[in-house]
Amino acid sequence: MSSRVLVSVRVKADPVRAFDAFTQEIGEWWRPNLMFRFTPRSPGVVSFVQGDDGAWEGGRFIETLPGGKVFEVGTIRVWKPGDQLVFGWRCAWFEPGMDTEVQVRFEPVGDETRVTVEHGGWDTVPVENAARHNFPNVFFLKHEAEWWTSMLASLKGRAL
Amino acid sequence: MSRNAQAVDRTLEALADPHRRRVVDLLSQRPRRAGELAEATGLGAPAMSRHLRALRQAGLVEESHPEFDARVRIYRLRPEPMAHLREWLERAERLWSEQLLAFKAHVENGARK
Repeated sequence: MSSRVLVSVRVKADPVRAFDAFTQEIGEWWRPNLMFRFTPRSPGVVSFVQGDDGAWEGGRFIETLPGGKVFEVGTIRVWKPGDQLVFGWRCAWFEPGMDTEVQVRFEPVGDETRVTVEHGGWDTVPVENAARHNFPNVFFLKHEAEWWTSMLASLKGRAL
Repeated sequence: MSRNAQAVDRTLEALADPHRRRVVDLLSQRPRRAGELAEATGLGAPAMSRHLRALRQAGLVEESHPEFDARVRIYRLRPEPMAHLREWLERAERLWSEQLLAFKAHVENGARK
């Protein structure tokens, strides 16, 4: 079991256009998500902005909130147009030490582009130390059993 | 590395052994006695107690005694180590699936270019 998620999609565009649309037009296509509100005042408008020196690398991924305040989601770590984008990802409620990272790859497939998002670092999110197992909860236990079963299935044959 | 990352590493390490995976598999059905686990896996009692110790140290299982007999040990799974992580991963996966579909629609149907 790894602590990252991998999601990809194929789009009818070349990698440079896909990269541009992803970075420059994100405010137009990004859907506010209730589960992942960056701040209590979200949603605002998300965008990638250059750093003080004008470079994209070292720039920021931000959300401009309805009141005009800017929340920094993370810094831009890699900026390779048509190829790769890496940026940090923190919600306002993340505790210190929690840090996740989003890596986006743009690969040509014929005259289309496969865009793959790899969002890792979820193992830095606190492991709840609830005394929950002292409270038998049928639903929870059933859920857990399913989880373990599926995890074991996925571990089978995996070289650890 | 964060404490949580270490916990996940410990979990994976404990599960690297096929006998211990079998034990976790058995315990996912219901709590069991050590003797029962040894029998089901075909391992001797000393080997089984070594595996159970490793699983306990990794925080994957816990032991308890039935009220009627303090000598009997019953093992059960402790769900905490990864339950939380999985929840985050599920949420993140749902988030990106939605976002990438919206992105695709924007690129392919958007007015630009």
